[in-house]
Amino acid sequence: MLEVAGLSAGYQGNDVVHELSFHVDEGETVMIIGSNGAGKTTLFRAICGLLPSSSGQVTFMGTDISALAAQRIVRLGIGFVPAERHLFPRMTVGEHLALGAYPHRPDPETMRVVLDLFPRLEERRRQVAGTMSGGEQQMLAVGRALMANPRLLVLDEPTTGLAPKLASEAYRALDVLRGQGLTILVAEQQVPLALAISDRGYVLENGVIGLDGTSEELAADPRVRAAYLGVT
Amino acid sequence: MTASILDGIVLGLQFGVLATGLTLVYGLGGVLNLAYGQMAVISAMVVLLAMDAGVPLLAAVGLGLLAGGLLGLLLDVTILRPVYRLQGEARVLLSLLLSLGVAFIVDGFLNWRFPLRGLSLRVGGEAVEILGVRMRTGSLVASGITLLVLAVLFYLFRFTRLGRAIRSVIENEEGARLVGIDPHHMLRIILVLSGVLAAIVAVTRSMVAPVNVRAGFSITVLALIVTVVGGLGSISGAFLAGLVLGIINSIASAYIGTFLSLIILLVAAALTILIRPAGLLGVRE
Repeated sequence: MLEVAGLSAGYQGNDVVHELSFHVDEGETVMIIGSNGAGKTTLFRAICGLLPSSSGQVTFMGTDISALAAQRIVRLGIGFVPAERHLFPRMTVGEHLALGAYPHRPDPETMRVVLDLFPRLEERRRQVAGTMSGGEQQMLAVGRALMANPRLLVLDEPTTGLAPKLASEAYRALDVLRGQGLTILVAEQQVPLALAISDRGYVLENGVIGLDGTSEELAADPRVRAAYLGVT
Repeated sequence: MTASILDGIVLGLQFGVLATGLTLVYGLGGVLNLAYGQMAVISAMVVLLAMDAGVPLLAAVGLGLLAGGLLGLLLDVTILRPVYRLQGEARVLLSLLLSLGVAFIVDGFLNWRFPLRGLSLRVGGEAVEILGVRMRTGSLVASGITLLVLAVLFYLFRFTRLGRAIRSVIENEEGARLVGIDPHHMLRIILVLSGVLAAIVAVTRSMVAPVNVRAGFSITVLALIVTVVGGLGSISGAFLAGLVLGIINSIASAYIGTFLSLIILLVAAALTILIRPAGLLGVRE
């Protein structure tokens, strides 16, 4: 479904990620593990068109999206939830969800699915995003992305700034989406949470992929256990 | 006093529409259009020339609004193109310098070609008494049109998909792109809208007092003051500030003197910024 081949990207001519290649198949949940500064955010921004890549190719469902702007890529079916969430602080929950379906009218069925997944959003429909808690904002960011009925959901560190309880709640929601057959690509530092719902994973270190495998293989790998799972 | 306040409300509503055109373009695209007043004056001249040529009033006004919208589009496809390549402060500065250049050229041309001309629309009828004050029909019609424009703007931004999309770009441009909105497309629409608003202000103003060919810069300065006081990028702020400053302006004109009213407005604006740096309803990121 998503094929990344030799992708390099960065800022002001300095590449942060170097010739990355990986793929996500339909129906899979794939995680990118990496510590702060490993290049996860740069990689995702380049895939989703918010950052121009310096070389390499990104193909989504047979279409080369390497040179497309973010607003075009979204309409092809990639929903992106950035770590900073990029909500509209003075707009209400309802307005966010309606905008998620842009340029179409919000589909009532999709709206139902989103509100069932996050009942909190239904209670807060008239509240503006700027006054909501971090956990609620995260739900709203995911909900907004889902309103477009994406084929692939890309999440950059969905647990940023969340208390442990809320973080596991967020992953429970992702697990539900996964169960509904949605393809998910997620970058995470909190590896145990991501491992539990992923089929496969890639370890990103200093802008290159150092290791990859199924979740079981990664969980058993001594390097992953030492660096990301706190087990020696 | 009541008369001054009523006059101030008439003027203030127009200030609000005027500032909305400027504040939206800034909030949406980081573009400060200093040729804004000239857009209003060109529109007024189009109405004037059309009427000279025998075009009926309403059709002439329609041509004026069309001219305003086209001027906005023209800015978008010409001098703003290099501006769009820049970001942040550099973008604001380049847009300010280029549009100022356009303003000087347009002003020089208009003064040379149509010296001393001014648009003055006479709306007939008896004066009407409101709260014991005799109001000219022109003022009332102008206010009616302005309120209608306000209602349309409110509806557009609150209840339509296009309006929501425009607001989302002002709130968070990257967020807007992530839901599939092209910010530049929205900016182009807003530039056209801002030209139409400038034309509407020129037309409604001319029902109260003549809009002459040299008025460009003072219109821009007024729009800037109202915009800054209301908070850059805030539509409701523009209207609130418009009303407040309109009333201050009328009272100052009546009791102190017209020659000082602009200075008094500037002082009021400076005081607002000292107390609330982001403007009345502005939000600082």
